[in-house]
Order: sequence, then C-alpha cells, then structure tokens
Amino acid sequence: MPLIDMPDFSSDLLAEFAARRTERVNTPVIQPAEPFLDMAGEDLRRRIFLTESETGANLCLRPEFTIPVCLRHIETATGTPKRYSYLGEVFRQRRDGSHEFYQAGIEDLGDKDIASSDARAIGDATGILKALLPGRKLALTLGDQAVFEAVVKALGLPFGWQRRLIHAFGDMAHLEALLERLARPQPVTGLDPQIAELIASDNEADLVARIDRTMQETGYSTNASRSPTEIARRLKEKLELAETRLDGTALLLLREFLTLQLPLAEAPAALAGFADAAGLKLGAAVSRFDARLAALANAGADLSAMTYRAAFGRPLDYYTGLVFEMTEAGSSAVLAGGGRFDRLLTLLGAREHIPAVGFSLWLDRIEAARASR
Amino acid sequence: MSTITIALPSKGRIKEDTAGVFERAGLAITAVGNDRSYRGRIEGMEGVEIAYLSASEIARELASGAVDFGVTGEDLVREGMAGADGRVEFCARLGFGHADVVVAVPEIWLDVETMADLGDVAADFRARHGRRLAIATKYWRLTQQFFSSQHGIQLYRIVESLGATEGAPAAGQADIIVDITSTGSTLRANHLKILSDGVILKSEACLVRARKQAHEQDPRIARIVEAVRAAL
Repeated sequence: MPLIDMPDFSSDLLAEFAARRTERVNTPVIQPAEPFLDMAGEDLRRRIFLTESETGANLCLRPEFTIPVCLRHIETATGTPKRYSYLGEVFRQRRDGSHEFYQAGIEDLGDKDIASSDARAIGDATGILKALLPGRKLALTLGDQAVFEAVVKALGLPFGWQRRLIHAFGDMAHLEALLERLARPQPVTGLDPQIAELIASDNEADLVARIDRTMQETGYSTNASRSPTEIARRLKEKLELAETRLDGTALLLLREFLTLQLPLAEAPAALAGFADAAGLKLGAAVSRFDARLAALANAGADLSAMTYRAAFGRPLDYYTGLVFEMTEAGSSAVLAGGGRFDRLLTLLGAREHIPAVGFSLWLDRIEAARASR
Repeated sequence: MSTITIALPSKGRIKEDTAGVFERAGLAITAVGNDRSYRGRIEGMEGVEIAYLSASEIARELASGAVDFGVTGEDLVREGMAGADGRVEFCARLGFGHADVVVAVPEIWLDVETMADLGDVAADFRARHGRRLAIATKYWRLTQQFFSSQHGIQLYRIVESLGATEGAPAAGQADIIVDITSTGSTLRANHLKILSDGVILKSEACLVRARKQAHEQDPRIARIVEAVRAAL
C-alpha cells in the first residue's frame, strides 16, 4: 500500500490502534454499491462515486468503512467479540473539500456489555484525538435514541405513532411535521363507503377478499409486493392513527424534552426531574444512560467537556442508542463521530444479533486542526 | 461580440410550438441549408445561431454552458443538474409541453393516499419484505430531493427506468413510480393513482438561459428574453 500521501501522523494513529488492542483490517476500495444505498438510502447516491461492472453490477468507491468492515466480519465468520480498526481512503462527492480523504476508526463488534463498550468507544476516540492534538480543548456532544424512544413510549401513544416518531428522530424538520399532525389530527376522507363500512364492522376477511379480487382483476396479483392482508391492516391502523391527538401538555413535554441540552454530568438528574415532573416512567433507558455515564466516570473520562443533547440522533434505522460527535471546543468541524448500531449486522445478513459500537476519525480535519497552531 | 447559441427541440409538437413562439416574438427562424438541417439562424439578428437538439441534450448543454439559451422542459433541466436555479435562469414559461412529475402508487393500495402514508410504508418495508421499497423512475434527482428533503423519506431504492415506467409495478420491477403525466390516462390504464400531495413538479416548456458573466453586457440577451416574453 502506498503510504506517501497518508497524513504524517498515520504511524502514531496505527500505534494507538495497536495499543488499544484492535485488529487492523483493510477492505477493497471498490465496493458493491447496494449495501450502502440499502442501508443509508438513496440520498447517498449523489454523494458517492458510482460505476458499473462489465456485468452490470453497481459498484462504488468506498464511501466509508463501517459497512465494509461489518460485511468482512460476516464473511470471515471469525466470531465475536472483535475489535477492528481501519485506516484508509474514502471517496465522497462534497461541496467543500476534497473528494478523497482519509478516515480511520474502530468498530467494536459483539461486546454484550453495552455501557462499558459505549464508554470505551468514547474513551478511544477521546484518547486518540488527545494524542493527535496535544493540549487542545475538545468538546463532545452525546445523544441517545433509546431515551427518546422511552419518552415516546411513556407518553402512551399508539404503536404506529411511536414508530413514526422514532423513525424521524434526528431529523428535526420531519419530527416537527409529525408533532404538528399530532396536535391537529386530520381525519381520513374520501374513503369508498363500502370499504369504510367493512372496516367499521371490523370485517377483515371480507376486506381482504375484496382487495384480493381487485388485484386479480387488474392483473396486479402476480407481482404484488404488498399483500391484501397487509394493505387491509394498515388501512385500519391508519384510520385509528389519524384520530390520535396528543393533548397540549404531552406535546409540550415532548417539545421540552427535545430542547434539553446540558452538561452530561447533569443529564441523569435532569432526565429524572423531567420524568418526575411529567409523570413518565422512563425506566430501563434511563438506567442504561446512567450506567454508561458511570462507566465513563470509572474510565476517568473528563465529563466536563461533554454535553448531552436530547434531540441529537441519526435518522437511519440501524442506529439504536448512543451517538456522539467530537470537535475542538468552539469549532464546528467534526473530528470524530460515532455511535451504536446494534441493528446493522443483522440488516447486512449476520445470522445472530451482534451489538456494535464504533467511531470514525476525519483525518483531513484533524490534519487541518494540527496545522492551525 | 461572440455568437449566441439557442438550442431548440429538434422534433415533434414541441419543435413546432417553439417555432410559433419565436415567430410571434419577431424572431423568425430560418434553417441554414435545407429544411432538415439541424442549424438555423434568426432573421435580422447577427451572431445568433440556432442548434436543434433533443430535449434532454438541451438540458445537458445548458448545464455545461455550451449553449446560451435553450427551450426544453423544466423537468429535464431540474433533473439534469444540481442547484439548477444557481446555474440557469428560467426566463419564460412558454405555455406548452405541460407535464407533471408525480409520485404514483398502485390504485389498490387503499391505505396510501399521501406522502406521509408512503413514508409509513417505506419505513416498514424492509422488515416486511426483506428489501427496501423500490421506485421506478428516470427522475432520480427530483425523486431524491422530494422524498428526502421535503418528506423525510430516506429508505427506498431507485430502479432506473428508461421507458414504459407505468408498467413497472405490475411487472414486479418496482413497487411505485415517479414519472411524468399530462392527462393521467396512462397511469389509470395501468391501475396507478397519484398521491394527493405527490406532484413533484408542474413542468412545461421554458426558455432557459445559462447564467454566464458575458451575458450582462450583451444587449442581444435582454432583447431575446423580452421579445419571447412579449409574445406569450
């Protein structure tokens, strides 16, 4: 591998990875594009470099490492727990900055102790940044999807609404639109009266039969992805959800929760206070939040440089709990970003559930930060 | 002064309608050489060249700045380049070539009438069907902007379709489509319905200018735009 244009601190970084007992892995630069588009969505299409193989398969230049490292883990089937590290070039179309740049990071796969592996990921990222940027003041922002999920559940919303809100977590505009709908429910109009009648009388069998008949008649059945039963059940659920109104107090609570932003050390008290005042039982999610904090404190982390922001999340369905970002204090350039993605490995085809947490380092920004003094 | 190039559609109704507008604007076009030539000029205007191209090539030439003006559908321009409004100016909407870019789903999806419904279905799709919701379209940029930016829907896959897109759901190539429609009759014939808030773009033929510095000092540019606007 040509090492000439790697950042000059690469060898320090590799030494850090080795000292942190990780196994360095490499993955091909040319990757099948499907897993990236499947996991991250079509939004990624305009940001990656796509090409086609001679046989028509979609290929892309490696846009990040997490998915290739996880795919490699599944293929090699070497068992867990595993701590992988990587260092290499990634390729993305960006408005500002170069289209090819180096990333490095650690992926911790299969450690069942969630609190301590979360704390270790944060500790690793912090330790490495401190080594690369000695004497600099770093800031960390932390979010936790599980706490948001617990708040939404505790509000007693129907399952369908919980799913909508959880799915939108991390995308504030989308979340706001959903809250607006919850404040002002719009009844479903324009439904065929016969179908409305079948639903009102809870006659699922007849409704399914009717949908099935139309599908047969229109020649749509053969390749239909959604079955008559799926359509009938979702129609019923939709009508129920459309009636759901979140009262003003609950809506206010949810909005209040989303504005929470405070020093991490104060977050447990604030969350407990919020739960008490709101009369919500946040139970396990908050105890796990506290356990992670305890693990961080045990590991000697500097909690004063860490902020909890309740609305911070990533609107992708494989993130499940912790997310974090690190910058230099007062700067907006993210130097390290990470989180827990317990659902990713099964989505990628792993047979058993593999909890996973990791982070990546933006080496071009770290290089710029090193040069800025 | 440098030559101004105007790219016009090379065939069909849209070619005739464009010629009509230019004629009414006092910018009558004559073919260079014979009738079937792909070059033309405007009578009484020096240094202006007409290039007849296909509608999608016109969008591409505008994007690269190889032509100064083009007449083509807004849908093709917006699909063909990122940040269209910064790179081109839509000078005039010409009143023909109407077509809406729409999101259409199988009529029998009784539970899906809005983009929010579709968002619910897309969010669940992988868990139920082992794959993402598939959208057949040739408008991947417009689709992606509309779904992600306006409706917060990320999880779906685009299946590129270069023709007969309306047939894709029944053929099992995709679950839903994003396509153009003018009357909706092809959609209905294929048992598809447009979502109530599923109109991505109401497109029509436009006079489009590539934004170039040199245009600011060139009186011919303003003259062409004004003449076309006055003819509408």
